[in-house]
Amino acid sequence: MIDAKVHTPSVRSALVAAVAFLFLAGCGKPEAVVRIGFVGPLTGDQAAHGVDMLHGAQLALEQAQQAGEILRGYKVELVSLDDQRSPAQAVAAAKRLAADPNVLAVVGHLNSSCTKPASAIYNEARILHINPVSSNPDISRQGFNNFYRICATDDLQGPAGARFAIERLGAKKIFVIDDMTTYGRGLATEFIKAAKGLNAEVVGHEGITLGEKDFTPLLTKIKSERADLIYFAGMFPEAALLIKQRFELGVPAAFVSGDGTFEVNLIRLATPQAAEGVYVTALGADVHQIPTAKEFIDAFEARFHHLGSYSSYAYEATRIAVEAIRRAGKNDRSAVLAAMKEMKEYRGILGVHRFDARGDTTLRTIGIYAVRDGKFQFLEAVD
Amino acid sequence: MSVFQIFLQQLLNGLTIGSVYALIALGYTMVYGIIQLINFAHGEIFMVGGYIGLTVLVISSGLPIAASPLFLIVVLIAAALGCALLGFCIERVAYRPLRRAPKLSVLITAIGVSFFLQNAVMIGYGAQDQYVPNPLPMAAWGKGGITVTPLQLLIFAVSIALMIGLQLIVYATPLGRAMRASAQDPLAARLMGIPVDKVIAVTFAIGSALAGVGGVLFGSYYSTINFHDGYLIGLKAFTAAVLGGIGNIPGAMLGGLLLGLIEGLGAGYVSTQWKNVIAFAVLVLVLLLRPRGLLGERVAERA
Repeated sequence: MIDAKVHTPSVRSALVAAVAFLFLAGCGKPEAVVRIGFVGPLTGDQAAHGVDMLHGAQLALEQAQQAGEILRGYKVELVSLDDQRSPAQAVAAAKRLAADPNVLAVVGHLNSSCTKPASAIYNEARILHINPVSSNPDISRQGFNNFYRICATDDLQGPAGARFAIERLGAKKIFVIDDMTTYGRGLATEFIKAAKGLNAEVVGHEGITLGEKDFTPLLTKIKSERADLIYFAGMFPEAALLIKQRFELGVPAAFVSGDGTFEVNLIRLATPQAAEGVYVTALGADVHQIPTAKEFIDAFEARFHHLGSYSSYAYEATRIAVEAIRRAGKNDRSAVLAAMKEMKEYRGILGVHRFDARGDTTLRTIGIYAVRDGKFQFLEAVD
Repeated sequence: MSVFQIFLQQLLNGLTIGSVYALIALGYTMVYGIIQLINFAHGEIFMVGGYIGLTVLVISSGLPIAASPLFLIVVLIAAALGCALLGFCIERVAYRPLRRAPKLSVLITAIGVSFFLQNAVMIGYGAQDQYVPNPLPMAAWGKGGITVTPLQLLIFAVSIALMIGLQLIVYATPLGRAMRASAQDPLAARLMGIPVDKVIAVTFAIGSALAGVGGVLFGSYYSTINFHDGYLIGLKAFTAAVLGGIGNIPGAMLGGLLLGLIEGLGAGYVSTQWKNVIAFAVLVLVLLLRPRGLLGERVAERA
C-alpha cells in the first residue's frame, strides 16, 4: 500500500503549485547576449602567456563596456576557452565557438600550431578572427578573408634575429634549435635562410619536443661543435632549461631566441645567473615606450599587477573586435565581417593599424631585448 | 673537447637521469614482484614527491637552516616519508580490498588513482609549471672540458646509497626475507607465519619512498615540476623495470641506468628529437632477444 498521506488532494495541489512556481522562476526572460571568444593556453606549461592574454582581453571588454553600450539590446561578454597549446584542443575549442550562434568574433590563439587549424574552422563559420600574437606567416596565406593579425610575422623576426646575431654579436658558427611546432620550425627556417644570406655558418639544426627537460646531450654536442651562438625558436619553458643547462655545462656560445621566450618566467626558471646576457626578439617595440599605451599599462597594472609580454596584443585585438561589433550594429557575423573590412584603419594603443590584403597589420616592428640583472632590458626596435 | 671527453660527458648526462629512472623503477618492480600489479599510480607518487619537496623548500625559504646545502637532505627525507605514507594509504584504500578480485579490476583502480593524484595536484598547485629552487650552489665543476654540477653528484650519491640500502634490506634482514618469501609464494609464506599483508604494505611504502626521493632530485635537477611529469617519467621507469627484468631488484637498477644512458647517448650522438624513439626501440630489441628482461623476471610461482 503506497503511503496515502502524500496523495491527499490538498498536498498534491500544493506540490503542483510549488513545482510550477520553481519552473517558471527558472524561465526568466532570456537576456540577449553576444559573445567574443578568447582561446589560449590557460593551463599547462605556457599558461603564463595565455593568462596574460586573457587579462588583456578582459580589460579591453571591461573598458569598452564602461565607455558605453556596444550593441543595442545586447550584453557583450567574453567567453574564454583553454586550448592547452594543443592543436587538437584548439580545434575542439574553435568548433565549440563556431557552434554558438552568439559568438561574433574570436581573439586567439597563442601558438601558431593552434591558430592555423582553428582559423580554418572560424573561416568556415564566417566568424571574425583576430589573432594577437601567432607569428607564422602561413596563417595569413590561406586566403581566409575573415582573418586579421595585429603583430609582426616570422619572415621579419627570423631575419631580424639573424642580423642581430651576426652583425651585432659577431657570430660566425650558429647552432639552431627549434621546438618542431609550426611556429618554431617556421621561425628557425627563416632565421637560417637569413643567416646563410649573411654568410654565417649554420653548424647544426636540431629539433626538440615540447615538454622535454633534458638538453644536456644536445648542449654537449653543441659545445663540441664549437658553435659561438645558439639560436632557439620556441617557447620559454624549454628555453629556460636550455639556458640553465647551457650554463651548467659551461657552453661558451651566446644565446638568442624568439618571441615565445619573451616571458619573465624565462629568467626565473633559468635562474637570473644563467640567463644573464641572453638576447630575445619580440613582436613589437617596448610597450612602455609607446605613448599611446601608457593609459593601458597603468590600468592593466592596477587591475592585474603584472603586465605580460602579450597582454597588450590581446587587449588591442579585443578592442578591435568590439569596434567591429559596434560598427556592425547587429547580431550577425557577416555584418561584423563587413564592418571590419570597411574599417580602413584602427588607432590603438600600439599605434595605427592598417590591414593589408592578407589581413596582416602594416604596423610591424621587431623589438630586441637583453637579459640584464634578472630583467629584460629593451635594446632597440628594427623594422 | 676530445672525442673521449665528449663521450664521458654524455655518459655523465645519461647516468644522472638514469639514476632517477632506477629509483622509480625499483618501486614498480618491487610491487610487481610481490602482488603482480603494475602500479600505474607509481609515476604520480614520484610527481607528488617532487611537489612535497617544493612545498618544504618554499615553506622554509625564510629560515636560516634552509640556506645550508645540507638542507636538501631534510627535503629528501620529508619527501620520502610523505610518499611512503601516500603509498601505504593507496595500498590500503585502493588495492588491498581488491586483493582477491580479477587483475584487471586492480589495474583499472591503479589508473584511477593515477588520474586522481594528477588532478588533485593540479587543483591544489595549479596547472602551470612550478619553479623548484635549487638549494645547492649553482656551479659547474669542470676539468678538461667535462663539467659536473654539485646536484649531479648528489643525485649519484643518493641513488647509489639508496640502492645499496635496499639491497641490504632485501638480502640481509628478516623483513627482506619476508619480502622475498611473500614474492615467491604468498600462501606458503602465510603458512610459515609471515604477515604477508603487512609485508606488502611495507613494500609499497619503501617503493614509494624511493620514488619520492627521485621526485625531489628530478625537480631540483630540471628546476620545474608539473602535475603531468609523472606520466612520461613513470612510463619510462616502468620500461626500465621491464628491461631489467620485472620483479628483479638489481634488474630495475640496471634497467634504469641503462635506459638513461641509451637516451643520453642517443640524444647526443643521433638527435634529441629521436631520443625517445631510440630508447624504446632498444627496449623492443632487448625484449625480442631476451623476453624476460636482461636479468630475468622474478615473480611468484603459481602452483
